[in-house]
Amino acid sequence: MVAVVFGLLFIIELGNLGVYRLSYALSILKPEEQGFWTTLEVVAVILPTGFGLGFLIGWARTTRFVILRGLGSVYVDFFRSMPPIALIFFFYLIGGIELTRAHTNPYLVTTVTLWLGVAALALHTAAYQAEIVRAGILSVPSGQTEAADAVGISRLRTMFVVTLPQAFRLSLPALGNEFSSSIKDTSLLYAIGWTELSGVSYGLASTSFNTGYLYASLIIWLEAAFFYFIVTYIVTRTVRAVEDVYKVPGLEVARQ
Amino acid sequence: MSSIHARGVRKSFGDLEVLRGVDLDVNPGEVLCIVGPSGSGKSTLLRCINLLITPDEGEIYLDNIALTDPHIRPEWVRQQIGMVFQQFNLFTHLSAKKNVMLALRHVKHLDRKKAEATAKAQLGRVGLADKLNAYPAQLSGGQQQRVAIARALAMDPKVILFDEPTSALDPESIQDVLAVMGRLGQEGMTMAVVTHEMGFAKEVADRVIFFDGGRVIEEGSPDEIFERAGHERTQSFMKKILR
Ligand SMILES: Nc1ncnc2c1ncn2[C@@H]1O[C@H](COP(=O)(O)OP(=O)(O)OP(=O)(O)O)[C@@H](O)[C@H]1O
Ligand SMILES: [Mg+2]
Repeated sequence: MVAVVFGLLFIIELGNLGVYRLSYALSILKPEEQGFWTTLEVVAVILPTGFGLGFLIGWARTTRFVILRGLGSVYVDFFRSMPPIALIFFFYLIGGIELTRAHTNPYLVTTVTLWLGVAALALHTAAYQAEIVRAGILSVPSGQTEAADAVGISRLRTMFVVTLPQAFRLSLPALGNEFSSSIKDTSLLYAIGWTELSGVSYGLASTSFNTGYLYASLIIWLEAAFFYFIVTYIVTRTVRAVEDVYKVPGLEVARQ
Repeated sequence: MSSIHARGVRKSFGDLEVLRGVDLDVNPGEVLCIVGPSGSGKSTLLRCINLLITPDEGEIYLDNIALTDPHIRPEWVRQQIGMVFQQFNLFTHLSAKKNVMLALRHVKHLDRKKAEATAKAQLGRVGLADKLNAYPAQLSGGQQQRVAIARALAMDPKVILFDEPTSALDPESIQDVLAVMGRLGQEGMTMAVVTHEMGFAKEVADRVIFFDGGRVIEEGSPDEIFERAGHERTQSFMKKILR
């Protein structure tokens, strides 16, 4: 809530300073023309796939199976050490080279390589989320699984009814953080030609900039920021709502 | 009423030999107290009995069933032998009632209504009928331990193992928990209790075992062990804890 007020005050203050005319700015606030929906589409793909994969890998890293643990740790080490922009280009370029070599229809190549860039981001955030999930699972005290063992609940079931619900509750705040940073990472997709928020804004703003309309450029970027804020806000609020579902009376964590 | 018999149980963790050939009997309906210094292997022994740990050598019998037989499922063994821990180990994300219900639902496969009725009855039995919906973090240590006892009782075990059930409690809660345990003993539950509560041992225990260095050093009636111990090691330990 505080964040919303700050954001709005910031924008209004810029208006008061005469940076731009607020009424004009509001009149050109057009999500459909600034790639907002494309960003939403990409986010809607990255968040669930990144989380699903991150969850599985994080879990794999806590099992007794050495091979699973090893694969998980190689995955995490690799994807965490790469800057997301480099990953996007690797996927985009390798995909493009291979598909072209296979004489794929050029239209298809474009579509597939664009989405490969999205996949790169999903795999990247999955690595971070895997670490969060792993830490969550490991932070459930061993007494919990021991108690489940002692009443005869099988290992697998214990995972689902004891460990994961507790691990999930502990991991949610960190997952919310990672979600919001992966939303903002989608802005890197403009580099391979996505016409999402940043791509479109960059195009619009540089046209204004080159023709001397610096204020107009600024407005465009402010609006882009505003749209990112909306997406991030919705997602982090949703995570908070889920946190409330998993809240345990007597164990509430202080929140600002 | 059931009994436990351990014969020549050995267990090592790496180079550390923790149990060095333990013979132990808990007779039907008997309350056996186990006392001994820290690190002597008491917890390890209890964990071997319900197969939370697999012994390296030796046999453990529940009545005349060899639990150490590889064909026996550990999950089955743990349904027969309840366990209560020093740190309670209640499931922190579940209410008292749900703590008791969890294994009823997932192990005994009772429907929700039956599981709930059992949970209510068992929590009533330990004096917590008014705390059904409280979460562990909202309960005192003594209340948590009594929920843990109800959770073990709900599985209808033949034997219950207690590992220092009152060492993490304040004096007042200790009495509440010991009272529940004493009543269980009188009702004929077969129990093995690791404890340093002399009062409880004297009043409730049928037999006391002094355990040290991974072995049973001496056993006898509470009076024999606490007042007239034969072994020098038992005597010096008793002097320390009675002081
Ligand atoms: N899982 C394990 N791995 C390695 N060593 C262990 C393990 N469990 C117990 N030990 C060691 O075995 C020895 C006996 O431990 P145990 O917990 O059985 O003693 P105890 O008699 O219950 O002591 P206390 O009174 O402190 O509870 C200790 O030295 C302990 O460090
Ligand atoms: Mg112990």
